[in-house]
Amino acid sequence: MGTDHQDFVFTAELTELDGGLDILHRSIQRLREATGRTQDDRALMLFETALGEIGSNVLTHGRPPGIDRPVEYTLRLDGGTLVASLSDSGLPVHEHLSREMPAHESETGRGLAMARSLLDELGYERHGEVNKWRLVKRL
Amino acid sequence: MALDVETRQAENGATVVAPIGRLDVAGAPALKDAINEVVKNGPSKVVIDMEGISFVDSTGLGSVIAALKQIRGSEGGELRLAAPNQQVRVVLELTTLDRVFPYYATVEEALTGL
Repeated sequence: MGTDHQDFVFTAELTELDGGLDILHRSIQRLREATGRTQDDRALMLFETALGEIGSNVLTHGRPPGIDRPVEYTLRLDGGTLVASLSDSGLPVHEHLSREMPAHESETGRGLAMARSLLDELGYERHGEVNKWRLVKRL
Repeated sequence: MALDVETRQAENGATVVAPIGRLDVAGAPALKDAINEVVKNGPSKVVIDMEGISFVDSTGLGSVIAALKQIRGSEGGELRLAAPNQQVRVVLELTTLDRVFPYYATVEEALTGL
């Protein structure tokens, strides 16, 4: 029938780091408001933390010089499952995906390990010259 | 959203650094600058008042680790965290950095005995 049963959809094109992060956090706030969830809703807070990690990676490394393509972002809540999709034009990142949590004194390298722990699923695929990320959490 | 950082001197001589906003990849440099200013004047006892931090990411956390190394690296230097919100506590626990950073419920508690 093609009927859209999605409870919530937010889409945006992200073109710069600070403003892009603002939009990611705003999308989560909109979801809270649309679904009556509070600021301390734990599942959504964990998802937002993972989204901040992948979002900052994508916005930092996914817009190489000379490529005007924005980062495409979609957030969907469907039947209690929250899915964020991000696509960027950065280099392939396969070798970073399985990175473990570094030692306490390390100042970098925690983002992907954190995101994996916080989500039910962290998907990554390389399509041509584009990285596609999929963050999934059941709320 | 830029991170604002306020710095004040407590009665016991410790410095309270209070970032306000998101301590993330965009905000972390402001905290680093503020800590650099504090340690420029010699060994320091510092409390980071986290009450105003709405959200932290791994880069923001990295700036706190850098501050810890910088401050504890000087003789007599000490860093404590105060009043982290639920999201900040979750990140500290997830990364097991809560074992490295003793955090206190309030700034007053963090200042006690510092």
